[in-house]
Parts: sequence; structure tokens; C-alpha cells
Amino acid sequence: MYAWIWRQLPGPTAVRVVEALLLVAAVVALLLFVVFPWVDPRLPFNDVTTG
Amino acid sequence: MSGHAGIATAPARHRRPEPPHRTGGDRVRTVVRGFGEVLLTLGLVALLFLGYELYITNWFSAMKQRDATAALDDRWSNPRGTVDRPVEGDGIAKLRVPAFGPDFDFTVLQGTGADTLASGPGHYVDTAMPGEPGNFGVAGHRVGDGAPFNDLDLLQSCDAVVVETRDTWFVYRVLPLADEAAGWTSGKGATPQCRGVTPLPEPYPEVPGQQIVMPWQGEVINPVPGGSEAQLPPEQQDSLITLTTCHPRFSAEQRLIIHGVLTARYPKDGPRPPALADGLRG
Repeated sequence: MYAWIWRQLPGPTAVRVVEALLLVAAVVALLLFVVFPWVDPRLPFNDVTTG
Repeated sequence: MSGHAGIATAPARHRRPEPPHRTGGDRVRTVVRGFGEVLLTLGLVALLFLGYELYITNWFSAMKQRDATAALDDRWSNPRGTVDRPVEGDGIAKLRVPAFGPDFDFTVLQGTGADTLASGPGHYVDTAMPGEPGNFGVAGHRVGDGAPFNDLDLLQSCDAVVVETRDTWFVYRVLPLADEAAGWTSGKGATPQCRGVTPLPEPYPEVPGQQIVMPWQGEVINPVPGGSEAQLPPEQQDSLITLTTCHPRFSAEQRLIIHGVLTARYPKDGPRPPALADGLRG
């Protein structure tokens, strides 16, 4: 999977490294700002109220 | 690695080798490698989620808490600020626990919805307001989202919980713990810190300073904690405070409950309550 992504990245190695880091940053941002905030309230370990 | 015996051409330098003919074994290897990469990725995502829950939600929460505190200060300092019933998410009071240090200072927001609790401790809307007869009920996170109630289990009887409103300081103190209630007046109850703290009289059921209940036991935030709503007319009710959070830490199987009773009130144009200087627990 990762080897395949690496082969799709255009440009010489140095450019590819930058592109790969950008991809990782994009995925991490998507997780932190969209996916995790959505998942968080659906998980059972954060209920602090009674009744 | 063995050479490609089937390729007869001379090795071409500065050119990528032609992809070798894929065999069944290659395909299996690709699938197995892809599967392994997916597992590794899921592991990293789980780690990232852990970091998000334990640290990053605290940063988000600290920003929201700062905004809520600024809005509340603004409202308090505005002489024309109205005293309407607050709406969900509004700051209503500040909560301090001197035993947790001088930096334990949270703006309590109206309501206990997920968004509200992500900004700070939340007031159960159907319970009394600070200082009123009845039970001022407040919920707070124990892990992540600022975790205001992380150390609630460390509170001892007579520890001060100071609630600041627009014009008044209310000093609540934690009620005697279950194993301290017997012999309270001759025991810990005789210490100066415990002035005004006694086991609640009849018709209150036993209301310990700290208890662990099941999630559905909403009666702990009733005006008569653990009792029915109509047990005592409002004018005869003590002014209590009840803090709730999840228990054990990292789980929501149970709830940790702290009950306190109002022992003093100070107008804010006078001196600050001495309880604010109560030392850190050693």
C-alpha cells in the first residue's frame, strides 16, 4: 500500500518526501479535526452525568 | 536476493528494470504485506486517538474555557448585565477547590450537554443555582476535555468547594465520608476546618461526602440527595452541592459523586473568603 502510494508520487526523491509528509499531515488533520471529534461523543467512557 | 534468471538482456544502467513477471507467490506477498500495513496503520491511528483524548482535547477545552471565562467576566463587570435565566453553554459561576491548588479555577457553564462539558464543568439545569436551597449539581470530565474533575476522588471531608457568582462567594465543604459519620462531633468534626459540617439531619437519608453510584442513579443530584423530590419543602432544604464525574478513571461504568454543604457566604464587595487560602493537600 505504502509502496504503491510512493510510486504514484511525482518528482524526484526529495520532492516525494515533501509530498509524503504533506499527505501524512493531511490525514492526521482529518483525523484530529473531523473524525475524532465525531467519534468521541459516541464512545462510552466519557459519560460524567447521572440519571 | 537471487538474480532474475529468466531475463536475457544485459543489465541496463540508469534505467528502471522492467517489472518482473508477477507470479502467484508475488500476489500472495502483496496481499500479506498490504494486510500488515493496514494493521500497522490502525495501530498508529489508535495511538493518535489516545493522544487526542488525553492531551489534545485538553487544549481545545482550555481555549473554550478561556472564552467562557472572558464572557462571564464581561457580563459580571457590565452594570447593566441582566440576571435572566442563563441558556445552555452560558457561564454561570466559578468553581474553586483550594485543596487542588490556586490554579484550580473553572467557569461552570449552564447545562450538561456534550458541547458544554467540553468547555468546562456543567450545571444540571434542573438543580438549584449556587447558594439556593436544594442541590447545586455540577458534572465534569475526569479524563480529557480539560478533565476538571480528574482528582475528585482525592477530596476529603471538610475540603472547601468555593463557588463565586456575580455578587457572592459561597463556601461549600465536603460532607463527612461514610466511615467518618459515626463519632463525627467528637472526631474530625471538632476541627476548625469542619465548622458547619455535620452529617445531614433527618429527614435526609445518609448523604456521605463521597460515594460511587451506578450511572442511572440520578437521585444523587436531587434536592434531598438519594431521596425523593418531594421529601422536604424547599424552604427547609439545606443548600448542598453535588459534583459528578465518571468512575473508575477511563471508564464510565460508574459515577463518582461528591456531596458538600454550604457553610458560609461572603458578599463580593467584602474580603475574599478565607477558605480560598486553604492549603494544598500535603
